[in-house]
Amino acid sequence: MEQKRHMGLKTLNRVSNTAIYILLIIISVVWLIPFVFILLQSFRVESTYQVGYVIPHEWGWQNYLNLWNSDFKRWYLNTFIIALASAVLITIIQLCMSYTLSRFRFKMRAGLMRFMLILGMFPGMLTMIILYRVLSDLGLTQANAVPGLILVGVASSGMGYYVSKGFFDTIPKSLDEAARVDGATRFQVLYKIILPLSKPIVIYTILTAFMGPWGDYVFARYVAFGTSAGYNVAVGMYSWLTNDQIARMYTTFCAGGVIVALPVTILFLCLQKYYVEGVTGGAVKG
Amino acid sequence: MKKLFAIILAVAMVLSLGVFASAAGSELAGEYDVTVWAPKAAVDLTKQQIADFNESNEDGIIINATVEEVSEADAATNMITDVSAGADIYFFAQDQLSRLIQAGAVTKLGQGAATFVTENNSAGSVIAVKAGDDYYAYPLTDDNGYFMYYDKSVIPEEDVDSLEALVADCENANKSFSYELENAWYNAGFFFGVGCHSDWITDSDGNFIAIDDDFNSDNGLIAAKGIYKLVSSPCYVNSSQTDFASGSAVVVTGVWNYATILEQLGENFGVADLPSFEVDGESYHIGSYSGCKLLGVKPQEDPVKGAALNRLAQYLTGQECQTERAASPDDGGMGWGPSNKAAQEDPACSNPALVALAEQNAYAIPQPNIHGSWWDIAKVITTDIKASDGSDEALKAALQKYEDSISAVFEMTDEVRNAFTVIGTVAGTNWDTDLPMTADGDVWTSNDAFEMEAGTEFKCRQGKAWDVAYPAENFVVETAGTYHVQLDAVSGEVSLVPAE
Amino acid sequence: MKRYSDLEYLRLSKGQRFANKLAAFFTGIPGAIGRFFIKIGLAIKNGFMALVNEIKDILSTFIHGDWKTKTSFVIMGFGNLTRGQILRGLLFMLFEAVFIIYMVTTGGYWLSMLPSLGKVGPTSEYNAVLDTYVTAYNDNSFKILLYGVLTIFFIVAFIYTWVVNVKQNKLAEQFLKSGKKLKSDKDDLRSMVDEQFYKTLLALPMTGILVFTVMPIVFMILVAFTNYDGAHNGFSNNLFTWVGLDNFNTLLSWKGGAGGGQSYSATFGEILTWTLIWAFLATFTNYFLGMFVAMMINKKGIRLKKMWRTILVMTVAIPQFISLLYVSKMFARNGLINLSLQSLGWIKEPLPFWEDPTWARITVIVINIWVGIPYLMLITTGILMNIPADLYESARIDGANAWQQYRKITLPYMLFITGPYLLTSFTGNMNNFNVIYLLTGGAPTNPAASGAAGSVGYTDLLITWLFKITTGAESQYYLASVVGIMVFVVVALISLVVYNVLPSIKNEEDYQ
Repeated sequence: MEQKRHMGLKTLNRVSNTAIYILLIIISVVWLIPFVFILLQSFRVESTYQVGYVIPHEWGWQNYLNLWNSDFKRWYLNTFIIALASAVLITIIQLCMSYTLSRFRFKMRAGLMRFMLILGMFPGMLTMIILYRVLSDLGLTQANAVPGLILVGVASSGMGYYVSKGFFDTIPKSLDEAARVDGATRFQVLYKIILPLSKPIVIYTILTAFMGPWGDYVFARYVAFGTSAGYNVAVGMYSWLTNDQIARMYTTFCAGGVIVALPVTILFLCLQKYYVEGVTGGAVKG
Repeated sequence: MKKLFAIILAVAMVLSLGVFASAAGSELAGEYDVTVWAPKAAVDLTKQQIADFNESNEDGIIINATVEEVSEADAATNMITDVSAGADIYFFAQDQLSRLIQAGAVTKLGQGAATFVTENNSAGSVIAVKAGDDYYAYPLTDDNGYFMYYDKSVIPEEDVDSLEALVADCENANKSFSYELENAWYNAGFFFGVGCHSDWITDSDGNFIAIDDDFNSDNGLIAAKGIYKLVSSPCYVNSSQTDFASGSAVVVTGVWNYATILEQLGENFGVADLPSFEVDGESYHIGSYSGCKLLGVKPQEDPVKGAALNRLAQYLTGQECQTERAASPDDGGMGWGPSNKAAQEDPACSNPALVALAEQNAYAIPQPNIHGSWWDIAKVITTDIKASDGSDEALKAALQKYEDSISAVFEMTDEVRNAFTVIGTVAGTNWDTDLPMTADGDVWTSNDAFEMEAGTEFKCRQGKAWDVAYPAENFVVETAGTYHVQLDAVSGEVSLVPAE
Repeated sequence: MKRYSDLEYLRLSKGQRFANKLAAFFTGIPGAIGRFFIKIGLAIKNGFMALVNEIKDILSTFIHGDWKTKTSFVIMGFGNLTRGQILRGLLFMLFEAVFIIYMVTTGGYWLSMLPSLGKVGPTSEYNAVLDTYVTAYNDNSFKILLYGVLTIFFIVAFIYTWVVNVKQNKLAEQFLKSGKKLKSDKDDLRSMVDEQFYKTLLALPMTGILVFTVMPIVFMILVAFTNYDGAHNGFSNNLFTWVGLDNFNTLLSWKGGAGGGQSYSATFGEILTWTLIWAFLATFTNYFLGMFVAMMINKKGIRLKKMWRTILVMTVAIPQFISLLYVSKMFARNGLINLSLQSLGWIKEPLPFWEDPTWARITVIVINIWVGIPYLMLITTGILMNIPADLYESARIDGANAWQQYRKITLPYMLFITGPYLLTSFTGNMNNFNVIYLLTGGAPTNPAASGAAGSVGYTDLLITWLFKITTGAESQYYLASVVGIMVFVVVALISLVVYNVLPSIKNEEDYQ
């Protein structure tokens, strides 16, 4: 009797596992299909417009050559600079902010957090016009859009402190107190004790800050309007899908998509572990 | 700045007073930093043409141009973002003109420039740059219309003139018919084809003051039935893209897709003017808009730079440059159909698509200035027709809703819509001001008494539109005097009542 | 509403308890509003009293202070300088100097123009000789409003600093009188990395937030009370000016005006309804399906766990403008999906993914699942692994099947931990611009609301509508502002409700 039941469970388990494998395979296919398609179409050279099939009839590098001969290089460099600068500066700002709000108890703290919560409820889209004007007065639009975009991105990044604050909250306060008793200043506590423990959240912040600018379209377009030298990849490539260009640039768009997605994806996969720790550790508890 | 301006003005005055009759030119000598926005296809050629201008102009103008790639469809949106940071000279599609004027992003042409435009360009393109009594831009092309490309392997030659036959061919071959009817630019063609009109009236500041529109009429119903024939078919696709590679046999679009479609269809390439559709035994040829690409100059604070820019714009829209643009892509051009009358005659400026466009132009309406919201309002006609069951009532309802939306643009209340007004050369106005009337039963009397000369003309119209207006011919005053205008709204009889 | 004793309450099921709490919340609203106003009244009273005290204090400082203190009322930082706090003194003086120079040179102008937002618009004159029109730009309403607001910010900051200056003088005087030593510059600097370290850390981020978030929001709220739009851009055509509450009347009145015979308020209501439905579905479909996928991958005996995760996670890495634009084209009428289904003979007519309102709405939600599952999978994986294994063990011994285990253990645990996340995710989805903009751009068009600023579609959220209003043919910035304020009100209300119903959000210290 006992034996039989055990066997039953095992078969049941096997059946359900098989079902799960089938499901997972289907899911994987669904998730990967668009990317595989983009990759395949980026090698299609017999035509440049949208077609009703996926596998190219003729393969070649023509679309990548087109990229090389267009302003894409400039857009890519712009985006890379923005991403790099954002990664460094946003990380510093967010860590300052979240560490302070996690560790210090000062008079305005609760009020400050509530204030930022309320600020966050305003749709950011609204402030686009005014931010443009401010940047314009500073001379940071159009051809100089890159520093402008960095400035705006970094300046408002303090609002996104929740995730890393959630992480800092999980580091026991007793560590700080012990160090303080030993005569360390607050700065030394941060520098010598907390930071070394915060590797996952630091890498998580760097990674998300680095990835953000690659997809930034609406505001970037607004700031760099009409000046190719100030475009990022999203703004530049979006123009290839407009009515008057899509017939000639569709496959080039696919090639551009591959070039943009590759490094970000590889970086992401390498640092995946930290990203997972970041979202699970911080995002939920913040 | 103002001082400098005064000095320049004074110098200019002195010079113009005598010695050098043609001296204005030499004052323009100098270098100018100029930003130019051109669509992607035109960037290289425009750079070349500006270099040619620098060499050839006799005024000593040197333009240091930065040519940026901005599509003519996005020019207005970009200019309006920030006029002061926008381009000095830019290509734009004509439907954006009123937005640009309103935003103060395009300069009014001087008398000389206006003459240059009116003398050298086709009638349709001259209408396109006019707002009120003034001219605001230089025509670049006269080819912004649409016609039909088709796949000869699916569509037999004899079917291209009939919408019904085309739809049947597509359905039988399980192919699509791409016609972007959920876009007012395209669906209005059906209405023009049956003789309807929709005209917006602007003042000189680019502000819209009225609309004269009869889409909601018996003729309009015929157009709606025509639209229903296509949109109710499973082969209909709301698109004006180069869809031949993805299953279309007919695509209604313009010259800009000529090269791509030629490549897609190869030997099966076919192009023709739009077909006719049949309602109650009558055949109606589908109409279209004919439109232009224009070149705008941004208002300048420095008169000298402004003048230099206008010279450049005249050069870029002159016969030579338009001919260069009309050349096929293999010869360094873009295949754009010229607006310049001399260039239009030139056989070098033609290709099959332009020929089809020219045929279609016989049924086309030159695109006037149109209120921005009209596009959003009018495209819905198709959406509503598509959702309807095709019955007369349903189609009428769609047109009625369109009319209601249009009236709401000017926030016309029912009261205003039903009221009669006097308009004409009355009381110092010149067919531009509606003078109020008050009703007593069916008899309407003007609120004021007007002093009228003999020969003063006027009409009484309803709802500030021309659908209902009396008398049919303008009322002409025979004896000078001070009168109230009176109208019997039932009989349509207009009379003058001498004021005490 | 029934009131329960503690014992009764504990006997209730989960659902009943929740219903009870919800009911308690809503029946409590009138009282809460009353208390809210009493609170505001008290706050005003307290604020007023504090102000009076402050002024009294400042006056008495002036009367009783020595000459150094008195001079500091005019020359800020003078007291600090003469009492040996060189650094503080110099900073105060510098600030005062900058303030005075700014106010005299430009600030005064902006402030004086603020009530009118400019008087003279641009003019244009014909120059017959050069055959060209010459434009002269004059006042700029936009700049007046912007710098006017900044100037007010600056004045408030100055007054605050001045009060701090006075107080410091008073304290310093008292300190010295009682024979204590004042903090030296060195002490000041040290405290910046120690007790006052938080000020150092916050200085930069808060300045950024103040200038690039708070100030623009204040500005845009003010725009809602002007007629700033494409026809009144304040510089190159017409100046704009204050119009009071007109714009709110336009949006909220039931009279026509939006076209299609439908009023703005009806259009707004329709979009709001869809926005809420969308946010609800987008949040919860992602949540449960993400959890489901995570549980499948986590299941004992499933191999290649890391590979499955990696495949899913890749979609997080690829910029949305690429993946979503591509997917949007795939679902188009002539797109890959329709064409392949047709060539397989499964369908005759193409499926109206983006043409039919209901299809389009379902399609965006389904594609949003595709976007969201990987992220949710990551989040839930971590939490699922944290659920103590012995809970399941004992449940299994009690004979609970998989579904019961999920209902009784997994779900409650997850909901408790992720409550706050669900809330932010919900409000985030309400403002999920990217997915809608890149997939449909709001299409298909809603005929009833066709005339409403920028052509409203069936998949438009409030945020995409706001964008359309801003960039549409008429650029009605003022209306966009009003809609933005409405979005804020809705989000704030929802957050308020949820905060009060969900216990786990309230106490942040619980987590530490």
